[in-house]
Amino acid sequence: MMGTDAGHITNDIRTLRFHHDEMTQQELANRVGVTRQTINAIEGNKYSPSLEVAFRIARVFSVPLEQAFRYECE
Amino acid sequence: MSLSFQEKSLWVMFVGLIAAFSFYFVTVLPSSAVNVMPDQVVYFVLAVIFLVVTQIVGNSVIAIMDRNTQTDERDRLIALKGMRNGGYVLATGVFLALCTALLTDGNFLFTHVLLGFWLFAHLVEIASRLFLYRRGA
Repeated sequence: MMGTDAGHITNDIRTLRFHHDEMTQQELANRVGVTRQTINAIEGNKYSPSLEVAFRIARVFSVPLEQAFRYECE
Repeated sequence: MSLSFQEKSLWVMFVGLIAAFSFYFVTVLPSSAVNVMPDQVVYFVLAVIFLVVTQIVGNSVIAIMDRNTQTDERDRLIALKGMRNGGYVLATGVFLALCTALLTDGNFLFTHVLLGFWLFAHLVEIASRLFLYRRGA
């Protein structure tokens, strides 16, 4: 039986930025094509980006999507 | 607290709307006219001109100070949620304005119930968007 389980998307963007020469939020935002405020909201798990933006973020860090984002069930 | 260009622009619109239409309603509403008078239309036009000028000046100043006017998917989502909330208020206002038109003589009350709810709907939309920007989305 299929059901809906409450969960949320988390990410490791802060860590990935740290491992990429302390890339700033503004620099990442410029490379992804969103605003710095959006990167800040994504990092703080306040906003779940579209698949397109999620893939673009993963591509900036040259990692698979699941290394940048995770879906955590509660 | 750093505000984005969109947030600053919304604050300019919020304050401009309140200032322009506070002036209009404070001036016009004490009237006991049955129909809208020509001098009241002049006050309305003055309020709209004030609003347009404040938006042009305010947004120009913001754009000079903050050159990053880019928008993205989060801005569009927040705008849609804000418009949805404002839409509920506007729909309620239109219904109440129609009731007013049926139950009262003249067009004064009908016009101002409609105008009041239009203003309130805009304020709800902007307040929703400002809240969502602070919350994240």
